[in-house]
Amino acid sequence: MTGWPDRLGRMGVLACAVGGLAVVVAALPWLRGDDPARSVLRARLEDRDPDPAALAAVRSELHLADNPVQGAADWLTDAARGEFGTSWVTGEPVRDLLLTAAGVSTSLAGAASAVAVVVGLALAAPVVWALSGECRSPGRCTRGVRVAGAVVAALSEVALAAALLTLVAVRWRLAPVAGWFGPSYMLLPALALGVPSGGLFARLVGTAADAIAGETWVRTWRAAGCGRITLTVAIVRRAVTAAVPQVAALFMGLLGGAVVVEEMFAVPGLGRLSLHAALAQDLPVLQGCVLTLVLAGTAAGASGIAAQRVLLGPAGAAAALAPAGPARPRRPHRRTPLPVAAVLTAPILAGLLRDPHGVRLERRLSGPSWAYPLGTDPVGRDVLARFGHGAVLTIGTAAAVTAVGLIVGLVVGLRGSAARVGVVDIVNALPFVLVGLVLAAVLGPGLLCAAISAALVACVPIAIHTRSLATEVRASGYHQAAVLAGAGAGWILRRHLLPAVTGPVLAYALTRVPSTALAIAALGFLGLGLGHDTPEWGAELAAAIDYLERAPTLVTAPVLGLVLLGVLAGSAPVELGRRTAL
Amino acid sequence: MTLLTATGVTKRYPSARRHPFGRRPVRTVLDAVDLAVSAGERLGIVGGSGAGKSTLLRLLLAVEAPDTGEVRFRGRPVRPARPGRLGWFRREVQFVAQDPYASLSPRMTVRDIIGEPLHCLRVPGDRPRRIDELLRAVRLDPALASRLPSALSGGQRQRVALARALAPRPAVLVADEPISALDAPVRVAILDLLREVTVAEGSALVLVAHDLAAVRRACTRVMVLDQGRVVESGPVDQVFHAPRSAVARDLIEAIPRLPGEVAR
Repeated sequence: MTGWPDRLGRMGVLACAVGGLAVVVAALPWLRGDDPARSVLRARLEDRDPDPAALAAVRSELHLADNPVQGAADWLTDAARGEFGTSWVTGEPVRDLLLTAAGVSTSLAGAASAVAVVVGLALAAPVVWALSGECRSPGRCTRGVRVAGAVVAALSEVALAAALLTLVAVRWRLAPVAGWFGPSYMLLPALALGVPSGGLFARLVGTAADAIAGETWVRTWRAAGCGRITLTVAIVRRAVTAAVPQVAALFMGLLGGAVVVEEMFAVPGLGRLSLHAALAQDLPVLQGCVLTLVLAGTAAGASGIAAQRVLLGPAGAAAALAPAGPARPRRPHRRTPLPVAAVLTAPILAGLLRDPHGVRLERRLSGPSWAYPLGTDPVGRDVLARFGHGAVLTIGTAAAVTAVGLIVGLVVGLRGSAARVGVVDIVNALPFVLVGLVLAAVLGPGLLCAAISAALVACVPIAIHTRSLATEVRASGYHQAAVLAGAGAGWILRRHLLPAVTGPVLAYALTRVPSTALAIAALGFLGLGLGHDTPEWGAELAAAIDYLERAPTLVTAPVLGLVLLGVLAGSAPVELGRRTAL
Repeated sequence: MTLLTATGVTKRYPSARRHPFGRRPVRTVLDAVDLAVSAGERLGIVGGSGAGKSTLLRLLLAVEAPDTGEVRFRGRPVRPARPGRLGWFRREVQFVAQDPYASLSPRMTVRDIIGEPLHCLRVPGDRPRRIDELLRAVRLDPALASRLPSALSGGQRQRVALARALAPRPAVLVADEPISALDAPVRVAILDLLREVTVAEGSALVLVAHDLAAVRRACTRVMVLDQGRVVESGPVDQVFHAPRSAVARDLIEAIPRLPGEVAR
């Protein structure tokens, strides 16, 4: 249990971070480096040369301040009063847009959370059941379930949503395709959002249960002849208390996924609103959305802590129970990655040998054949070739991004002071889509934007991993001995920290490449990544979705690629180092 | 000649707050302790758990600063500082840690471990020859120099740690329970080695132990700590035969004896 001062310190960090984020958000219109009035005109009327009179008119109409400090201060005071200005594009009050969208998003999030809890408990129950029995090596009994949970957790919302859309809505016609006109429209988006979160929840509960099964009370209860069902329920209850503080991470995962899923199913929620605001450079709307999303995430985190208090009861207050968690991250399955990587590599290599740009309109949208094993796209290009070349773009960018993340993560993790560590915790809680949205608003969408936001998010777990390894070294006897032998900071870094940290962190970074590739694909799908017509998997999927009714097989290649990437990402060690700001 | 002195050092640590806005209760770990180590002397510091032995060592090694009082070496005040500014002190006062399994880097060879202080403190001289000489001084085969600590036994590891501490020819060697992680026969060997090498190298020894028998074997003088205060100090034989404090009597009682053996 952390002490009060520690918790107050973390709250302070959180307050600073939310405040800092609010200032960044408030200053967004000025961060782009040009006149906000010019941006407004560009947002409203494309390709019109802004004359000074029009600019002045816009400035007086929207009460735009001349400098960022004044502007940010104005925006913050207005926001505190619940005034978020008007949309630069439509002129509607942002507050009304936010309220409507927040209503939609809240009901979607509620449905998705229910799905997540059901899926999570369903996946975790067999693990706990095995643990509550007399199983000699629980690791072996539960491996299959563990892998399933990990894979479900790493399933990309993009791939899942596309698969649900293709099969359930288009092929079987069991649910509406898109829109938001009644409860039946909630089914597919809630599944697409909730299932991956359920997998993460199951993973958290499963790992916690693993540690809990070794606690003395379990042995005592078992020796006292306690029934297996009673024991299972007790372990689940105790494991949920360990997983509940992570609820903010789960919620942030939902938020990140929400943008993708709302876009895919045309749900008019906050995620879609912020995406379209970012793409249209409609900054007041984006500002409002980001602030709402971050505040919602913070509230979720706080309620998670409160819920843990209630669940732990007096045991928590007396600090009698330490929050359960494994000492070391473990791989759910060591052998999964190799065959999956092989299955993924074969079509990529085959595709790389073919021409991804040859347009043959007479063969457009043809199904699989000997000449075109995966069919052709809407302009008759070879889907297999585009799959292979897209892999180089998607996974190659991910590898480059991970390399950058590795360096940044090592530097931050090794030299991390408390303040920087707090910032790392905050960034860790931010979904990459949100970062991508803000960056797209500042830099404009493109590869750079996708790469930076993926790198920013990718370096965080690496920094956390580095930090925990470095802390281990700094607490070791040989570190103390070196200090007392007169070693300076440089010597300790060269001879003790780097040799201990580099190898494991490099291996860890490699296991993070697939999930970074998924992030880049998601950004590409949203139009925040590589431009139109590149074979990047996310962009390919977005293009294929438009032809869902006429050529449902078109989505197969990118979806399968993303699912296999998800399996690879799922076999990476679980990050229980991932923690929220509170 | 007096080398290392502590005069009236006091150290307090705040303990956990009971409620969020309450005052932090303060625990006094060391209370006005005086200590002086002269050249060639071997001082044992004994006391039960929580007596303040390890805290006193941290102050003596300039890892932490005392709240009041001061630590001096050859009359020069010593306080925690950047490694570069403490080089002179580290050359004179070296340390042997408690746990030889933790105090040697698993990634460095014996040669590199012993050479670390020579390199970091820029000790002049022929390093490979000095390392060979040190290995022989602690009765280790010089052929072990290229091994990693994982290939060594506990006793061998502690000899390596001792060789590392002796490398810069320190005037004072400080050892924190150097035998508590070892087996009984190895303990005696390490204690005897500590005594012999400090005599041979002309270093003073400060040996912390919770075991009075260990101190008796290796030291000339003993200081008994209890709850942060010095309750007794004097030549080892005097304290052993005529203990004046209850703590010292308890510590003597605690030395395990075979049945029929009479208390000495």
